[in-house]
Amino acid sequence: MIEMILHLIILSGIIISAGLVFAFRDLLSAAIAFAIFSFLLAIEFYILQAPDVALAEAAIGAGLTTAAFMIAIRGTVRREGDGI
Amino acid sequence: MIDIFYAAILAMLLLILVAGIRLAIGPTIPDRVVALDTINTLMVGSMILLAVYLGQTIFVDVAIVYALLSFLGTLAISKYIGGEL
Repeated sequence: MIEMILHLIILSGIIISAGLVFAFRDLLSAAIAFAIFSFLLAIEFYILQAPDVALAEAAIGAGLTTAAFMIAIRGTVRREGDGI
Repeated sequence: MIDIFYAAILAMLLLILVAGIRLAIGPTIPDRVVALDTINTLMVGSMILLAVYLGQTIFVDVAIVYALLSFLGTLAISKYIGGEL
């Protein structure tokens, strides 16, 4: 019962950050918002008592995905809609 | 009666939401990077408090790995902003 308040805060944060990924026009800001989304998803797995899933989610979301996005943005354009 | 660790977890989650507001309305990119780093550090603290609240010793290991990996994400974004990547 009392854990429902934690779930309410974290799930609302997940929805808001997922909306920010679509709302930002700057791709670097969208990558940062996606990192926040991944971290909040990891702590939601953690509260649901699945620590191995939370560990994999934190490793993929924090380490690999952000670095891969930075390399991809460096190779292409930063603003959405500029063209190549 | 509310547990003292549960109250601490709630306070940390509300601080994460306040840092998320700075992430949403931050006018420049370094504001958002600092908000991301603040959220990471607060989340490591709340993971350790959740391990105390749930009574599971193995959950602390997740917080250690998380503290190592959140550094890498911030480092990649900072290298990109500095023009070194």
